Amino acid sequence: MAMGDIAFNLLIFFVILARSQDDSHLQWQPATSVELESAGHSKASVLVDNDGKTYLNGQPTSIGQLESLIDGILGDAPYGDRTVLLKIHADTVAQQYEAIFEAVSKAGGELVHVVDEEKP
Amino acid sequence: MRMRRTNKLLIEPPASATGDIAFNLIVFFLVCASVQPDAGRKQTIPSSETVQDQKQEETNVEVLLTRDTVALDGDFVAMGQFLPRLQAKLAGKTSPDDRVVVFKEKPDTPYSRYINVMRLIDEAGGVIVFQIEEEREVMIP
Repeated sequence: MAMGDIAFNLLIFFVILARSQDDSHLQWQPATSVELESAGHSKASVLVDNDGKTYLNGQPTSIGQLESLIDGILGDAPYGDRTVLLKIHADTVAQQYEAIFEAVSKAGGELVHVVDEEKP
Repeated sequence: MRMRRTNKLLIEPPASATGDIAFNLIVFFLVCASVQPDAGRKQTIPSSETVQDQKQEETNVEVLLTRDTVALDGDFVAMGQFLPRLQAKLAGKTSPDDRVVVFKEKPDTPYSRYINVMRLIDEAGGVIVFQIEEEREVMIP
């Protein structure tokens, strides 16, 4: 019985470890919209938090480095497998998010804006 | 003679394991709860190019977005009127080239407003093309 528990806990441990590059610990307020679709599998996620800081896959980065970093992550992945999630705080200004769009676009990423479903 | 019915397949787990089981269940549900699938809106941004000729822009619908206002071909419109006005401008245009909407925004426009207007342009069937002003530093001798 204890063997099963140990195996299960190890499994949980490695699942959490694999998610260490996740950005779920960062604080941001998503914009809202309607008719959303599933973002599906993504290789990269760019997040702008409440303080206006930019993160790539949970790691702090600068917008200047974004294009090369995303290019490295996406590699030679075919179209349809180059999704980059954009998790941008609702109050972020165009000056910042336009530069992010441009970097993702130049790296050949397919943009998906992660937003919340608008409640009626 | 009365036989006592016993089921040897049913074994009660030891009471000492209850804590372990509860702990594992808590961890399992915590991990499940933290893995939420993301939902959003896809956007295709055409590859950038430097446009020298202004003639093409004149034939396309132009949207200018600021922090507080939205303008359609230079006319400021109320947010509630934006979609019907845009639909009217795109009416009768069938090819994607004709349905291009040139999108410009001021640097202080918030993202939430951008997402809202993008949705309306999508809904009207417009093909969004960004127009970003390029900044260049010029050294004056």
